[in-house]
Amino acid sequence: MISTLAHRALERAGLGPIRDKVLNGERLSEEEALRLLEARDLAAVGALANHVREKRHGDLTFYNRNVHLNPTNVCVASCKFCSFARPDDKHASEGYTMSLDQAVEHVLSRRPLGITEVHIVSGLHPDLPWDFYLETIARLRKAWPELHIKAYTAVELHFFAEKFGKSYGQVLGELKAAGLTTIPGGGAEIFAPRVRRKICDDKATADQWLEVHRTAHRLGIKSNATMLYGHIERLDERVDHMARLRRLQDETGGFQVFIPLAFHPEHNMIGKAFPKPTGYDGLRTYAVARLYLDNFDHVKAYWISLGERLAQTSLSFGVDDVDGTVLEERIYHMAGATTPQALSEAQLHRMIRLAGRVPVERDSLYNVLKVHADPALTKPARLPVTA
Amino acid sequence: MAKLRAAAVSFLNAWPLTAGLERSSRIDLVLAEPARCAEMLEEGEVDLALVSVAGLIKGEYEIVPGLAIGADGPVQTVLLAGEQPPATWDEVFLDTASRTSHVLAKILLDEMGVRPRYTPRPALEGLAAARGTKGALVIGDRGFDVRANHVLDLGREWVQRTGLPLVFALWAARPGRLSPEDVQELARAAQHGLGIRTELARRFAAERGGDPEKYRRYLTQRIRYGLGPHEIVGLEKFLSLAADKGFLPRIPLRFADDVVRSRRIRRQVSVDTALQKGADGERLDADEAEALDEKAPLLELGLAADARRRALHPEGIVTYIVSRNVNYTNVCTTACHFCAFYRPRGHDESYVLSRDQLARKIEETIRLGGIEILLQGGLHPDLGVEWYEDLFRWVKATYPTINLHALSPEEIWHIARTSCISLDETLERLVGAGLDSIPGGGAEVLDDEVRRRIAPLKCSTDEWLVVMRAAHRKGLKSTATLMFGVGEESRHRAGHLLRLRELQDETGGFTAFICWTFQPEHTRLEPGDNSAHAYLRVNALSRLVLDNVPNLQASWVTMGGGVAQAALHMGCNDFGSVMIEENVVSAAGTTFQMDSEEVERHIRDAGFVARRRNMRYQLVGAAA
Repeated sequence: MISTLAHRALERAGLGPIRDKVLNGERLSEEEALRLLEARDLAAVGALANHVREKRHGDLTFYNRNVHLNPTNVCVASCKFCSFARPDDKHASEGYTMSLDQAVEHVLSRRPLGITEVHIVSGLHPDLPWDFYLETIARLRKAWPELHIKAYTAVELHFFAEKFGKSYGQVLGELKAAGLTTIPGGGAEIFAPRVRRKICDDKATADQWLEVHRTAHRLGIKSNATMLYGHIERLDERVDHMARLRRLQDETGGFQVFIPLAFHPEHNMIGKAFPKPTGYDGLRTYAVARLYLDNFDHVKAYWISLGERLAQTSLSFGVDDVDGTVLEERIYHMAGATTPQALSEAQLHRMIRLAGRVPVERDSLYNVLKVHADPALTKPARLPVTA
Repeated sequence: MAKLRAAAVSFLNAWPLTAGLERSSRIDLVLAEPARCAEMLEEGEVDLALVSVAGLIKGEYEIVPGLAIGADGPVQTVLLAGEQPPATWDEVFLDTASRTSHVLAKILLDEMGVRPRYTPRPALEGLAAARGTKGALVIGDRGFDVRANHVLDLGREWVQRTGLPLVFALWAARPGRLSPEDVQELARAAQHGLGIRTELARRFAAERGGDPEKYRRYLTQRIRYGLGPHEIVGLEKFLSLAADKGFLPRIPLRFADDVVRSRRIRRQVSVDTALQKGADGERLDADEAEALDEKAPLLELGLAADARRRALHPEGIVTYIVSRNVNYTNVCTTACHFCAFYRPRGHDESYVLSRDQLARKIEETIRLGGIEILLQGGLHPDLGVEWYEDLFRWVKATYPTINLHALSPEEIWHIARTSCISLDETLERLVGAGLDSIPGGGAEVLDDEVRRRIAPLKCSTDEWLVVMRAAHRKGLKSTATLMFGVGEESRHRAGHLLRLRELQDETGGFTAFICWTFQPEHTRLEPGDNSAHAYLRVNALSRLVLDNVPNLQASWVTMGGGVAQAALHMGCNDFGSVMIEENVVSAAGTTFQMDSEEVERHIRDAGFVARRRNMRYQLVGAAA
């Protein structure tokens, strides 16, 4: 059920047939996803996405408490959208590489903050040995048994496989045995070869990225998926990106969440030519992702990149996850993000509640840890439709 | 219908408030001493009484708005008298007729470091005994005859010490007894009584003897009868000092207009029906506006507002203007709790822009394609109408193409006051000097309950609207604004929109409406719901309620470009101004910046055609 106003607005926009498919639970085609992205009817498309979001999750809006660990920014890849990577760890280039002790200590020192997850992403360092990566996980697992370790993007995992002469299965199997629990969704960028050639032609290809995730899913490791939008890609390439993810998800069911990431232009090679995508572009992308990716449970807005105001707005456009109280994010901030480094949990709750939603602290597998119902709530929260 | 029972003091200073009630068909009046008035109110013998401020401690009384007995300087009828100076007093006799004056005397003596023993004693007896180290408090009409070596006028003393007016007495009612009509009746009686003060003075002199001219001066120059923002601040200061020093318990002020309004019986409204009505362009009433503000989901409001925007502006154009916000001074006497921009006169960071500085700013604006200067500033106590006339003539003579969009209603009132001329004359002279249009700033929330809390020294709702009405009648166009998220409620926001719509029906002078939320950094006010979500909802609601205002601006300066783009899909058809300079919001921590290219990119990206406009919303230049 959507309101009469939404019904009519979609009809007027020529989106009646798409509306009917969504309401009947039918899957949208790539053409229809593109049609929705191109429609300049944000409120109408948003209302449809919001309908799907509320059917799945009611008012529940998820976040977790995590700490980011970026052990090195030295990277052999030369992605043109990246402001984080450095060619070496010499002082002059602002490169750095943590020692194993430093990396482990960085995480353990955050233990009093009540975090439940560490998110580990690095550059593709030319010299670090396999043991470094394996030991980081093993030592964290040993020192902090209940910590959820979400580590190494598919791009890094592919790099490890090539560099250390292992199969994806071996790399993931060893890491899993050391204590890794899930893998993050980074490095996907845009799958289309035309775009990859131009912005990141020396790292894992689309097929390699997808194969790493397929392998992880088969080993029982859940993962996330991202899309870097708003640079040189076309709208049909965004749809193609989501289509590939939807196909793999049909096959494995191992993705937990889809995370569109806005390109940030400062201090990188393509920023001068391409300004940061506007908030409108973000909102329509979230909404269409929610409508098209019918086999993904969650759509996440990364508030670090969007800012608090737009992240809050996205909660009415299909988004049900706002990421955590992120401590010490480096990658977006080096690309000019001006958002605060961390939102306190109270601020996060306020932002979610003022959007009429209910904050839910989750663990890394989307189990509910705590529903933070508003003590002053006058109306009961809408819950997911379970029927 | 039973008449309301009221009690009031018989002192001369109360006559202007009570004389008009003698033949009232709504209110029956009895006269009594101050302490007795308070007692009758407390016992329920009367519904309403003109009580001294200290009399408010007895119950949850509702104060009648707008009316009081007070002073802004010497008052003659609240005195401390003695043979020796007050510093030597070890005992003070307190006139038994009043309680507020006891507290006032104690506060002022305490501030002077004098802490005598206090003994109640009838006035004449006390005055007779005030010898040596004894003093006496005398209040009421007896004060006219006091002769003593040392006389302390407590009105003068208070005003000198606090810089604020003093309130002695006000109309207070038992809860739930007053109707809006009763409040009107009291205001009407006061209007009548204040109009015949010379006559009342003559009558008093005939009854009691003495010089009628002296009494006339007392009624017209000594005693003040308004209860405006300044008086309320004075009253709050009095109550807080009394409480801090332990002379009175803390007394919260409740005003009858707040209570009467919140008692308004609301009709049950279907949100869906109201949304559909709004989307179809039918007029929404107060109950519908309030219900939508309270309950309608963001996207439903947004869809209805989008339908309205499409009907009003079917061509899919989103306009913007290239304008520069110039703040000619940051000196301000208003000290609003939500403002991070103002500085007091003489502060190290205070400034008034020189002609050279202005010239540089205007020339830069013209170079950047600007066609307008938005000139606003603080309420500088030294700048009179001539200063503005000179300035405007100079701007118009030097830069004839520049539209002078200047001076919010607050500033216009301030200029009228500083220059001792009428509002009409102020506007005429400013228009004569080159004023083209006026910005709608300073409206905040047009509700006096909210204004008293967030900006007690700012002009009232009516004053703001009076300037706009007068300006529109002189052919000036203006914008209208709403700054919310200061802890106000749905009824306040809905009321704000309805007041604007009412005036627009009358004058048609508003070209556009713009709302934004309170930005709290570096200010003293605790925010309410000032989120982006609230902004988008209230913005959409405004599009539905303000059916007679043609344009709605999106506030990217406070909300950021992305949220402003969403607002374009939920009611707005204008992207405001390319801000070459903005000082007020950025002082409160919000610093979104865009040049024309970036503004146009946002408009186009959101699916609209970007066009430049002037202040009258006429398109200028070629299509982008």
